Amino acid sequence: MTAIMDGPEATKVSDVIVCRDVHKWYGDFEALKGVDLTVEAGEVVVILGPSGSGKSTFIRCMNRLEEHQEGRIIIDGIELTHDVRNISEIRREVGMVFQQFNLFPHLTVLDNITLAPINVRKWSRDRAEELAMKWLTRVGIPEQADKYPGQLSGGQQQRVAIARALTMQPKILLFDEPTSALDPEMISEVLDVMRDLAKAGYTIVAVTHEMGFAREVAQRIIFMDGGQIVEINSPENFFNNPTHERTKLFLSQILNH
Amino acid sequence: MASVTTTTSSKPPVQQRGTFSKKFNLNYFLQDNISGSRGLLIWVSILAIVTVGLLVQQFNNAPGRTWVIFGVWAVAVLGTVVGELFTLHIGATRWLKENMFNNVSNSLMTLFLGLFVAIIGSGLWSWGVANATFDPALTHPDVRTFDGASWGVLWGARKLLLTGLLEPEHNGRVIQWTLTILGLWALSFIGTRESTRETGWGTWVRRIANVGWVLSPFISYIFLAGLEYTEPFIDTRRFILGTVLVVAVMAILWFFKVIQLNPMTTAMWVLAWPAAYLLWRGITLVSHNAEIFTPIDVDRWGGLLLTVIFAIFVNILSFPIGILLALGRRADVQGIPYWILWPIAIALTAWGLYTSTFGNCIGTPSFLCENVNLWATSRNTVEQIIAFWPLLIPLATWAFLRSFDGNFLQAFSVLFIEIIRGVPLITLLFMAIIMAPFFLPEDSQGLSNFWAVIVGYTIFSSSYMAELVRGGLQAIPKGQYEAADSLGINTLQKYRFIILPQALRILIPPLAGAVIGTFKSSSLVALVGMIDLVGSTKAIIANSQWLGLRTELYVFMFVLYFLVSSIVSWYSRRLEDQAGLGVR
Repeated sequence: MTAIMDGPEATKVSDVIVCRDVHKWYGDFEALKGVDLTVEAGEVVVILGPSGSGKSTFIRCMNRLEEHQEGRIIIDGIELTHDVRNISEIRREVGMVFQQFNLFPHLTVLDNITLAPINVRKWSRDRAEELAMKWLTRVGIPEQADKYPGQLSGGQQQRVAIARALTMQPKILLFDEPTSALDPEMISEVLDVMRDLAKAGYTIVAVTHEMGFAREVAQRIIFMDGGQIVEINSPENFFNNPTHERTKLFLSQILNH
Repeated sequence: MASVTTTTSSKPPVQQRGTFSKKFNLNYFLQDNISGSRGLLIWVSILAIVTVGLLVQQFNNAPGRTWVIFGVWAVAVLGTVVGELFTLHIGATRWLKENMFNNVSNSLMTLFLGLFVAIIGSGLWSWGVANATFDPALTHPDVRTFDGASWGVLWGARKLLLTGLLEPEHNGRVIQWTLTILGLWALSFIGTRESTRETGWGTWVRRIANVGWVLSPFISYIFLAGLEYTEPFIDTRRFILGTVLVVAVMAILWFFKVIQLNPMTTAMWVLAWPAAYLLWRGITLVSHNAEIFTPIDVDRWGGLLLTVIFAIFVNILSFPIGILLALGRRADVQGIPYWILWPIAIALTAWGLYTSTFGNCIGTPSFLCENVNLWATSRNTVEQIIAFWPLLIPLATWAFLRSFDGNFLQAFSVLFIEIIRGVPLITLLFMAIIMAPFFLPEDSQGLSNFWAVIVGYTIFSSSYMAELVRGGLQAIPKGQYEAADSLGINTLQKYRFIILPQALRILIPPLAGAVIGTFKSSSLVALVGMIDLVGSTKAIIANSQWLGLRTELYVFMFVLYFLVSSIVSWYSRRLEDQAGLGVR
């Protein structure tokens, strides 16, 4: 195992994500109402909450897919501002996995993965393909490298998307409901990969509805509702002794359906 | 299912050749074909009456032919009926039943269309072949046989039809150019075939063809327009200006992080213009001394040559312009802020008001000082009001800020596209030819008609292309943009590698439509006095030697336009098949 595979060693400077009083409006609707969050290097944070609570918006603000209007977001020591150079520098260090996979359908799996390393990191094709194959092996589908995304199952596509994000050697990984668009029997193969990454020491912020995954892997669970963070707790306390009434209601709804 | 015996009930019945599971039922047949609805009954009756009428008329006109057609039809109906009633279908009768005689109205249609095609075909045959003459010597009105076509006109007028007024000594160059382009096309075709695509030499063929296509505008220009040598060998002004321009564009792109520069690429871009310029001048000098590519007046191009040149030029130019306009219309760049715009607007307004009402030319540069002081020279109230035109500047500023938020790129693209699309092509062509000289300096030679029309036509075509391309861009899911962004890919790379390849694939069918449309609409330039295919046809018809031979020429034009359009659409389908490889 190379150093790359075992997670970034350079993230010893703690607090790689710092959000202070983040506000976000869509027109008149306030999606985020002053969110504060600090994530340390190597930490796995799971964001839970009912739909419309602003959790997706929040993590999409972390790599500027959405623009926040007030407050500060500092990723790996770089503040997200209008400066295009800052944004592209941050996006290089932050990998993201989407609910709908968002693979490029006109490129093969291997080209999907190597496109960004070759053009953004300026690696040689050989180097990029070598690392891409390592990651494809790690997520368990090296034999699919020359196929097109449309020929793969949903679970395989999502694993390609994870490999694509990781081949850029990001310091932080964002997961935006990575299993929500998958058939039930394919969820576990993606969760296994995510568990593996968490153990390898990646800094992970994940929005998910997989309670088992959250309980097992997360170091902290953040519960959001109505654009605010309602509760931050350890997984045991969150599921066994939630402090907030809203959390109790949410847990009773999802656990007793 | 008479002959089939089954041992278990769960086994599906085996259907034998020549049998049908559905038995013929007269009631159902009548209901399906006649009595099912009133509309159907009326339609079948009208069709029957018209067909019988046509049949009787044709019996009187040409009994032999009509007997044959009716006989074939009757035999086919009989075969179908026998096959249907006695479950004795063979391949041919089943095909007839499914395609020609599957109900009463379609059976009648078959007879009707058979008669119709026979009438048209025999008429065309007797006009175009049986009674026609192919002798170019027999096309003059005095010696013409009037009951058939005189195809000789096509041969007699071939010069005007193919190249218009081009001097005959240049014909060889046109042929060489045609062969070059066809050769390039053949190379591309071979290089992209399924069997050669993956092989090593196929890749090389493709590469050579691609380089050829990139250079093809220059090759075409050298062949068709020739090279004019003027002293001095190197025009210092153009030499330096070109270099500065290229470097400036690169610097801007680099500043906005669209491209990255290292010493190698920087040197390449700095030397690009000088190298290209020297090469061009070198070719010119050699050609001048050896008198190979002597200059041709572009306004002498004509006929099919001109039509093809228009189509190629306009399509090749308007496509990239259209992409840029589409991207501009969608550009989400930081607008020019109001605190920069308003002071400039107010200053301009004040200056404009001053010069058009009180101003005089003392101490003003002469180019700023033409037609100033409209107030003093005004003759009536309307002209006095016009003197206050600078008041429109704040209005425009306000509209610009309000509608586009200071986004200059978007404003330019939207206004360009909407204004040009709102004007008929013929208006633009007239403007290009008649009005453009008014805007040019008086002492200049002015544009030749050809270039004026190319500019006007390209502007028109690119605004349509822009909207096509925009449609393609909007068809790409938002997730593709987001995935690209999340990987840190910059805007240029995002469009180059991810968005445009997918969008252009979607756009192949509508783009083929646009290419065909541009090709056919180029016939409008005949209205502004250009001798393209349509223009030369008009000239031939008016020529006393071929007076009145319009049908032959229009048929020829029809065939030519149809052929080229079909080739384009066939090629686009081939492209579609190739491009579809990735999305399975």
